[in-house]
Amino acid sequence: MKRRVRAHNVVQLCLALFFLVCVVLPLATMLARITPSGLREIAASAQFWPAVGNSVSTAFTASAISLVIALIAAWCLERVSIRGKALFAMLFTIPMLIPSISHAFGLVALFGSNGLLTNLLHWNSSLYGFWGVVTGSVMYSFPMAFLMISGMLQYEDGMPYQAAAVLGIPRHRRFTDLTLPYLRKTLISAFFAVFTMIVTDYGVPLMVGGKMITLSVLMYNKAVAMMDYSAGSVIGAVLLIPAIIAFIADFLNPEPGQGAFVPEPVEPNRGKISAASAYVCCAALSLLVLAPIAAFALMAFETKYPVNPAFTLHHVQKTFRAGAGQYLGNSLLYALLSAAFGTTIAFVCAYLTARVKGPAGKGLHLAAVTSMAIPGLVLGLSYVICFHGTPIYGTIVILILANIVHFFASPYLMIYNTLAKLNPNLEDVGQSIGAGRFRIIRDVILPKVRGTLVEMFVYFFVNAMMTISAVSFLAPPSPKPVALMINQFEAQRLMESAAFVSLLILGVNLLMKLFALVFRRVRSRREA
Amino acid sequence: MDLQLTTKLEISNLCKGYKSNADVLKSVSFSVNDGEFLSILGPSGCGKTTLLRILIGLLAPDGGVVIKDGRDITTARPSERGMGIVFQNYALFENMTVLQNVAYALRFRKVPKRDAQERAMRMLEAVGLQEHAKKTPHHLSGGQQQRVAIARTLVLNPDIVLFDEPMSALDVATRLAMRRELKDLQKSFGTTMIYVTHDQEEAFALSDRIMIMNRGEISQLDTPDRIAQAPANNYVRQFVLDNLQAKADSLARFIGERKVRP
Repeated sequence: MKRRVRAHNVVQLCLALFFLVCVVLPLATMLARITPSGLREIAASAQFWPAVGNSVSTAFTASAISLVIALIAAWCLERVSIRGKALFAMLFTIPMLIPSISHAFGLVALFGSNGLLTNLLHWNSSLYGFWGVVTGSVMYSFPMAFLMISGMLQYEDGMPYQAAAVLGIPRHRRFTDLTLPYLRKTLISAFFAVFTMIVTDYGVPLMVGGKMITLSVLMYNKAVAMMDYSAGSVIGAVLLIPAIIAFIADFLNPEPGQGAFVPEPVEPNRGKISAASAYVCCAALSLLVLAPIAAFALMAFETKYPVNPAFTLHHVQKTFRAGAGQYLGNSLLYALLSAAFGTTIAFVCAYLTARVKGPAGKGLHLAAVTSMAIPGLVLGLSYVICFHGTPIYGTIVILILANIVHFFASPYLMIYNTLAKLNPNLEDVGQSIGAGRFRIIRDVILPKVRGTLVEMFVYFFVNAMMTISAVSFLAPPSPKPVALMINQFEAQRLMESAAFVSLLILGVNLLMKLFALVFRRVRSRREA
Repeated sequence: MDLQLTTKLEISNLCKGYKSNADVLKSVSFSVNDGEFLSILGPSGCGKTTLLRILIGLLAPDGGVVIKDGRDITTARPSERGMGIVFQNYALFENMTVLQNVAYALRFRKVPKRDAQERAMRMLEAVGLQEHAKKTPHHLSGGQQQRVAIARTLVLNPDIVLFDEPMSALDVATRLAMRRELKDLQKSFGTTMIYVTHDQEEAFALSDRIMIMNRGEISQLDTPDRIAQAPANNYVRQFVLDNLQAKADSLARFIGERKVRP
């Protein structure tokens, strides 16, 4: 027994080192660059305080709108009896498969000076500015809030609703007095999560912000464009604040576990008027989600969008001549490697924290979920500052490391929850019959969690495919990931190529999701 | 009871403590006879599960010795002790069929595959589950899953089987049926059984001897009759009385209800 305990400790130590080198050290190095004079300089600069105001106002407005849309969408799918729920649910999460910058670019394609709707309706709207940023941010962020809320609604107990119905409590009061209190914690953490996501994203405000500069754009301009790392560090530290608040709020206010056994699910509303309004809401939202994608397709394959609609592959060829194929290859390689290593490390880490007793597990667990609180932009800058001059700098290794750390927490929690739910005595039984820990992992635990591993892999892959935050600092000039080309093409006014690249990323990620879906179906059929 | 009792397991001065509780076990010594059914009874936190985990070797004691058939097994690996253990929540391998669950352990005993299948099947027949061999555990009822867990343990021919509150997740009717089955299995395999429970009735119904534990110490170790008639100390007396009182109460309630109803 003693020998095995030591083997765990070695792995635990390796993981602790991993978090130390890849999370703590870079952040500390970045924060160490903040000097009082640098701080004063930034605080005194003309751009800083307006940028703070812009960031807070856009993120606050967009988060509120996102949450309302997400709540309506989740309510329609979980609490009203309508058809096509699976299809709608899939459509509502499609925005999660393209980079934030594509959402903004979608708005440009629709409402920009040469946009589809601008030409069609002769609108003279001013897309650029506050509402452009808010709209783009909502499109990019509402799916996450939708998933959080609908996940909670699925597992609400139906008994109180039956009691309320018997007591003659009207429907709207059931919503305000039963559902909203039940969702309170979820809504709070969804708000924090969405706010953080929006405030740290630079893709949307960079493209449609116009003259309005947000903190993230300011950081991008300072650190990526002008390579002013000390100013970038200060802004990075400021961007950490909402993320840390969100993390602490989540930590102090943990959600009740999902996936709990529900004896009696809530009966959906079968009224005709409810169903009709739900259809209208879902259709409107689907339109909102699909419009930019349709615009991408039109742009990429029409001769001259939006005036000459004849089909052409000219733009596609042009995009490939500009290196899209090679960039796509880079992205696929990064995404596959990030997913493979990320899934492996997250599994090992979660196994040690969920199934091996001891105080070391708790510390490791905290380290694993803390990585969630670091925005990609901050992570990227801290990596630049910390690893500059080391052999991994400017290589694929640092990109993959950044991806793994950036997206670690969610897949880690997925597998942690699955492993913690498995019977705690499996390894004990194994020992009593002579099957060691590794045999039990291979023969019993891995087959049992295969589905979760696939979900984790897909999560890492999809996010690595579309991320533009950390990689914007770390990508070396030549093997650049494909998501970063959207911005570049847009800047060169190669709108058709930017549209095509957005479609490419969406296509790859959809294929990956489809793979996960097929895997799940085959598995559940085999088990039935 | 037989007059020629042979000692199967000899436990002396076992102690175990943690940072949070220094005296989970305070120098526990007792012996178990060959073929005996011994229940370890006590409230939660009395150290009975810790004791069981030390006996199977999942936990190392801070001090003391465990001797089985004259051999010191205190530091032996769990799989080298000739013991099996059945957990309260079954701990079945859910990705395997019932038959695979039972045959799995034989792989680590270098039993050829065909023999393993045959032995596992015979064991399933013994617990009456032969027609469920091809199912996965989640298709079975709680009692059936428990029987798979028992078959999985017995297939290795252990001479001692430990049970950690095996019935606590089962309903009353299934429990009563399982008790009988357990006794039958014990008779036909001649296995020594050590049975941890907090259910007095179960302990009194099943056991040759009962060991009552409190706060890491043995309060009394004796036959059910002697414990009922001559409790060794106040703790045991109160413990037994509480149980009787509870039974008397429910009996009184039962009779009372019958009286009220016409």
